[in-house]
Amino acid sequence: MDAPSQKALVDPSGVNLGGPRLSAELLEACRAGDRDAFRALYDAYKDRVYSIAFYFFHGDAGAASDVTQQVFLKLITSIRQFRGEAEFSTWLYRMVVNVCLDIARARRGDAASADRTRLEAVAATGSHEEDYARSQMASSVRAAVAGLPAKFRIAVLLRYFEDLSYEEMAKALHCSMGTVASRLSRGHKMLAERLKELMTGRI
Amino acid sequence: MFHQYRVRKVAADLETQLVERQSRDLMTEYLPVVEAPDAIWRAIELSLMRPDRVVRRTHLPWAWASVGVVFLIGAVGWLAWRHGREWIETDARSRVVVTVGAIGTVEVEPNTRVRVVRDRASEHRFALAHGEIRASITAPPKLFFVDTASGTAVDLGCEYSLSTDEDGTGVLRVTRGWVSFQWNGLESLVPAGASCRTRAHAGPGIPYFDDAPEALKRAADRGDFDAVLRPARVRDTLTLWHVLSRVDSNRRGQVFDRIAALTPVPPGISRDLVLRLDRETLTRFKDELAWTW
Repeated sequence: MDAPSQKALVDPSGVNLGGPRLSAELLEACRAGDRDAFRALYDAYKDRVYSIAFYFFHGDAGAASDVTQQVFLKLITSIRQFRGEAEFSTWLYRMVVNVCLDIARARRGDAASADRTRLEAVAATGSHEEDYARSQMASSVRAAVAGLPAKFRIAVLLRYFEDLSYEEMAKALHCSMGTVASRLSRGHKMLAERLKELMTGRI
Repeated sequence: MFHQYRVRKVAADLETQLVERQSRDLMTEYLPVVEAPDAIWRAIELSLMRPDRVVRRTHLPWAWASVGVVFLIGAVGWLAWRHGREWIETDARSRVVVTVGAIGTVEVEPNTRVRVVRDRASEHRFALAHGEIRASITAPPKLFFVDTASGTAVDLGCEYSLSTDEDGTGVLRVTRGWVSFQWNGLESLVPAGASCRTRAHAGPGIPYFDDAPEALKRAADRGDFDAVLRPARVRDTLTLWHVLSRVDSNRRGQVFDRIAALTPVPPGISRDLVLRLDRETLTRFKDELAWTW
């Protein structure tokens, strides 16, 4: 898979927290095997799934594509099992977490430094269009997130990209709400430590 | 005193909120949503047009290329089974692919005898008498079960192979997701990349990662739990966590201490509760350790 070009990055102002809600009609159509409905479902969630995987895997576009493909294939082949007891996004992000961890396990041994280099390369592609300081900030934030331990990283990314509640995150991460709170708190503190200099100017 | 505690707690909560808000502001500004490449949907459509790839990522093209041919051979046996024979039995040269509802497939390998016990949306259950099956399931956990003489493999959303002989001696090998193998209240949780022996009248053995040191694997297979401790790596806390509930209370402390020496014990995990095999604590401990597996 090609690395995403700078043009593929959505404008930061376009970040849409909160997430789309899956309509009953769309869900029913998906269950009935309607290919257009699947496409609509895919379009609604693809960028968010891809983004979480992209930042989880330190900017590795190939891994992010792999995760996105596997998640939606699983979703399409098992959507009949989704009875609607839980929020759809919880079910979806549970799959995202599982696939991310499966791939991370399978790729264990990859040098973290190599991943970090890849991420910085992605960040640097836009630097000629932005001022140097901004590019350095962006690079630092991404590297800080990439440097978090996996369990904190996925919690922070889920919270940020999907704005899931603690209860939803607990279901997605298969742990207690207390553990979610602890991971988020520690994850954000670690981020803050790493970004102390950047934050100083904001307080 | 209480007032001071309240003040400190409120201050700590405010600090946490501030830190989260600042981190969030920075991420909003510098971690944009990345547009998924169009190629992903094309790949998904391609997979949907080729059913054998929907449930499996093919790593061995030549091996899987033969599945189509084998399927035809196996289909004869499968049709025969559909028309009244209870058991599916393959000989040394045949293989059958069984579609499991809408949730996946089971490949029945040569020299295998297997039966579909139940086939409902809420429960798909096979009985494996002997031989080997390869299951590839994409469904919520606990919908697909395989009974053997030494216990039951419970699918937790995964891809795995399970082989056994008539008395239940065999191997469970997981390639994606998780599988729980259960017998008489004894359970082994096996993640992707790990295997677990199954034993007659003894249920699941201790699981270990396939890349674990040979000394650890041999020790786990023969149930020599003391010999498992020394060669264990951080990732082998999978094995050590299972050993905790398989040794007597006198030796349990050594196992816990070995885990603690390999990786920091997560906050809130009490040594005392672990040694007493408190179910909730053990589950939380496992969930935390699993991040290193």
